[in-house]
Amino acid sequence: MADKFANRRILITGSTRGLGYAAAQEFLEQGAEVVIHGKDESRVRKVTSELANAYRARARGFAADLNSRTEQDRLAEFAGELDVLVNCAGVYEERFCADATENHWKDTIEINLTAAWRLARALSPGLKARNGVIVNIGSDSALLGFAGSVAYCASKGALVGLTRALAVELAPHVRALCVCPGPVDTDMMRNSVAAQPDPVAARRQWESFPILKRVATPKEIAEAILFAASPTCSFQTGSLIVVDGGTTAGRIV
Amino acid sequence: MIRFDYTGKTVLVTGAGRGLGFAIAQAFAKARATVILNDRTPEKVEVAIRRLGDSGMVIGAPADLSSPQGSAQAIAPALGKGSLDVLVNNAAVNIERSIENTSDAHWDEHIGVVLGAPFFTAKAALPLLIQSQGCIINIASELGLHAIANNVAYVSAKHGLLALTRALAIELAPHKVRVNALCPGTMDTELMQECAADSGDPEAYYRDFRAYHPLNRLARPEEVAEFVLCLASPAAAFMTGAAVVLDGGSTAGRM
Repeated sequence: MADKFANRRILITGSTRGLGYAAAQEFLEQGAEVVIHGKDESRVRKVTSELANAYRARARGFAADLNSRTEQDRLAEFAGELDVLVNCAGVYEERFCADATENHWKDTIEINLTAAWRLARALSPGLKARNGVIVNIGSDSALLGFAGSVAYCASKGALVGLTRALAVELAPHVRALCVCPGPVDTDMMRNSVAAQPDPVAARRQWESFPILKRVATPKEIAEAILFAASPTCSFQTGSLIVVDGGTTAGRIV
Repeated sequence: MIRFDYTGKTVLVTGAGRGLGFAIAQAFAKARATVILNDRTPEKVEVAIRRLGDSGMVIGAPADLSSPQGSAQAIAPALGKGSLDVLVNNAAVNIERSIENTSDAHWDEHIGVVLGAPFFTAKAALPLLIQSQGCIINIASELGLHAIANNVAYVSAKHGLLALTRALAIELAPHKVRVNALCPGTMDTELMQECAADSGDPEAYYRDFRAYHPLNRLARPEEVAEFVLCLASPAAAFMTGAAVVLDGGSTAGRM
């Protein structure tokens, strides 16, 4: 076991599956103390105890629905003083403009954007005291428009703005970065693909966007998150780390 | 100044009581469009319509855009008329606050008006815009492209607005509805003059804002409005999903 993050206190929202889970494994591997967060209490308990066993403790779990401000506040209180805040929890559901209801919009903005902001605000005094890092998980959707993603694109675009605003205002004490993944092989993507009338074609479409012609593994994104949070990245703040298989670089026509 | 002719076209401008919104409404009215003029209260709309005088055909659409119901209200006159060619999402709030002084209410208002309202107004206008193969122009900001301190809610919302512009542009392209954003720098509006007066040293206030832009001046609302007319015109027929920057060089670099 390496110890790049020995004794570092880290909260990763949405870390019972997908990207957040992969990042939790990597941080624990590097000696960090990690707060595992998810919406479902039994899943949080299960994942936390598995990780605690695999990495000899240092993983604590907390269940909170980030669509509730009271629960956002409770999570912040539980997390306490941090070295690294990773805002990874997010929701995605395909909705075309006409079907994007008020609730769809509000839920997407609250969970993907406002929860990240409110956690950053609540935890910034502790992060300042420890010269910490905020890593927001954006998306290639912050940089490119996709059909059926109005609320998601808006929330992720705003998260880039939030990252820059936090970086400017919390400098030089706290760095803030935005890791923007392309499509990743997670439950989020698999659920979205399964909901399509032709899942095989839907999966193929996801694989067609990156010029590498595949989707990322969660571990490939987790590595970028660790890099962003690490001292190796110490001169980088307010910037985007785009890990999108080349989707935003261009396209093979 | 380029001459545009919007005869027979209907344009909705949100937040048009004064400032840039008013200048946009005025420019469209002068170009012979029917202008639907929105602002927060009937009084503000009345004042603006009176100021426009007889420079064109103007319909008032007072509505508070901080909730989706407000967007539906703002679109009602266009629905009644049965046509809309151009939607200009201009309404905004911009109050500077440090991170620790940004309350939930402050955040929600900025995200609601700056990011939410353009979406809900676009959604409500969609059937009319599809019918007219019209266009949407979102007034973003140079702060949709970079950040300054003490403006976290506004910066986040304007960044989001540029992403929303791209998503809408892609989604509505098959319907031939164009969606673009304009990113102005600081403009010399009534609001600016008020802020300068409140600052205690108006001269220094203006000097700092001028110096922020490499061209060392503020934008005139009329020159920004002129660009909005250009974006809505056939001159921009092949433009969609773009963020046009009109910021005196503020995002280009540092002096």
